Amino acid sequence: MPLKLLVQLSARNLSRHKRRNFMLLMAICVAVGGVTFMNSLIRGFQYDMQESAVANLTGHVKILAPGYLDDPSIAKSFKLAADWQPDIAAEELEGWAARIRIPAVIMSERETRGIQFVGVDPAQESISFLGDADYDGQSLRDASDNRVVIGRALAEQLETKVGRRLVIITQGADGLNREAGFRIAGVYDVEGTGLEKIFVFTGIKMLQQMVDAEVFTEVSIKLAGTPREFSVKVALAEFFTGLVVLDWQELEPQAAAMFLFADAAIFIWFLIMMGALIFGLVNTLITAVMERVRELGMLRAVGMRPGAVIVQVVLESTFMMALGVTIGIGMGVGLIFWAGDGIDLSEWAQGMEMAGMRSVLVPRLMIADLILVAGLSMVFGVLASLYPAWRAVKINPLEALRR
Amino acid sequence: MTEVVVRCSGVTRTYQDEAVPVYALRGVDFEVRRGEFVSLAGPSGSGKSTLLNVIGGLDRPNEGLIEVDGINLNDLSQSELSDMRLNKMGFVFQAYNLIPVLSALENVEFIMQLQGVGAAERSERARAALASLGISELEHRRPGELSGGQQQRAAIARAIVTNPVLLLADEPSANLDSHATEELLELLQRLNEERGVTIVTATHDPMVMSYAKRRINLRDGTIVEDAISAAALPAVR
Ligand SMILES: Nc1ncnc2c1ncn2[C@@H]1O[C@H](COP(=O)(O)OP(=O)(O)OP(=O)(O)O)[C@@H](O)[C@H]1O
Ligand SMILES: [Mg+2]
Repeated sequence: MPLKLLVQLSARNLSRHKRRNFMLLMAICVAVGGVTFMNSLIRGFQYDMQESAVANLTGHVKILAPGYLDDPSIAKSFKLAADWQPDIAAEELEGWAARIRIPAVIMSERETRGIQFVGVDPAQESISFLGDADYDGQSLRDASDNRVVIGRALAEQLETKVGRRLVIITQGADGLNREAGFRIAGVYDVEGTGLEKIFVFTGIKMLQQMVDAEVFTEVSIKLAGTPREFSVKVALAEFFTGLVVLDWQELEPQAAAMFLFADAAIFIWFLIMMGALIFGLVNTLITAVMERVRELGMLRAVGMRPGAVIVQVVLESTFMMALGVTIGIGMGVGLIFWAGDGIDLSEWAQGMEMAGMRSVLVPRLMIADLILVAGLSMVFGVLASLYPAWRAVKINPLEALRR
Repeated sequence: MTEVVVRCSGVTRTYQDEAVPVYALRGVDFEVRRGEFVSLAGPSGSGKSTLLNVIGGLDRPNEGLIEVDGINLNDLSQSELSDMRLNKMGFVFQAYNLIPVLSALENVEFIMQLQGVGAAERSERARAALASLGISELEHRRPGELSGGQQQRAAIARAIVTNPVLLLADEPSANLDSHATEELLELLQRLNEERGVTIVTATHDPMVMSYAKRRINLRDGTIVEDAISAAALPAVR
């Protein structure tokens, strides 16, 4: 097959109807560029959501006492050897934290609120949002710190501030209520107000003392690299017989569902764009074939084989697509860098924070997505050319030349 | 003894027109020998184009035998016919001979690209063909930038550059004025006499007929006259 000739013919034919082909090229560029950029936003949203879900005191994997999720109280707790370390390779482990997390009531001079009271070892909390929150005042010093840190939104609700005292009431290990006074060491500030209103932190030793038991209600583990939650879960479940080991998808089913939906959304979005584009492409190719009936007939008459005619039309479509995909991806990546710092959605973000999102949407470029878009676009380009190519090969040279 | 390039025997081609068959050709028998310049004449609808197309393997007869260069065209598949046309025949049509996006030179070269001739040999032969038709200086022009007569010359260059055993031309002068027609015919005559190219044309044009050495008159799909021009006789080899 004279491929060089066919390549030459196809390439030149693209320059034949400059305006028509330019329009089509622009449509491909806009579609591919749009898909590329949109994908990066969906990916940004997806991983942001996963990260917040994981940072939400969840971790990738969590160990709980049976029944804790239904009735989170100090009764559903477990003991942990003082020298316990998760049995996970160092490069796979980002960190872990053992905590007590129980419901409590918090009172200022003016207001009363229900909260989650969490005893932590601050040294371990680099894995959660607590690690990189901003503080007014101070963060907790160590596991024995007997002060509390509360969220800004809660401080506003309670009309209190750093240095003031609060009273917290919670249930002890014996089932009786305990009440203790705490000084506010600091007020933390995280994006979104959801967490700020719920979580109040103190040193784990302090909380163990208050509930009168040397126990924990959860161990949260954050993995590094590409998390392999499943194998870690299996290993942990073997070690902690009698306890429940859950991954973040089980703990945050909504976020996990959204995560999967985002994967699907990328496909759906791509298919819609391509679907719309394909009609334009098929239409242009058919028009191009139909206005060249005599020429194609002549080529067949002087001895070009039918297969070569098919290849010529397919090549034309492929070139157009390749050009559009290259420019389109360039445009999309350009947009991604332009929006690299993120798009501020705070005006519309009220609802989004509930879904565990930050109010700034940062695009996230994934090479695999680019390859997918480029590859599938080329496949669509070839598919779109099949019908026009068939029309071209059906041209009877005699009839074409008689016109 | 001169070699037979085309042999037709009992060639019949009918078209089914509302249940009544239309006979485009009915039992045509004739032979063309190497080096002949044949003109198919006859009124409109007499079957000239049909005969040319059957010989060129562009159309198949309903009945009868056609041999070109000793090969029975009825035995060939579509792609074998394609190859036959590519390698053994040259075609000049009334119009649309050239590809608009290629230059005159490229239009002559592409037929050799289809044949798989190497690049260097290709451009050398294409240039020689254009030169023999006197349009060397136009080699970089695209068809749209050539006159009708120049386009037909480029088409002839394309048709002869492969050294075909047979050059088929259907109304090659239909879009040309008499001056351009005369130039074209002189070129065809020269190709025929100097290079021995076998030519079969179909035409209405008395001028074309006058240049041909042999004139076959068709009427209603049959040959009614087959005359060798007396003036041309000595040239037949
Ligand atoms: N595709 C077709 N379908 C039906 N009839 C056809 C077809 N092609 C040719 N014919 C008929 O066959 C006959 C011969 O046609 P042909 O084209 O060979 O004539 P021609 O001698 O070349 O005429 P012209 O001088 O007008 O070119 C005519 O009656 C024509 O109507
Ligand atoms: Mg005709």
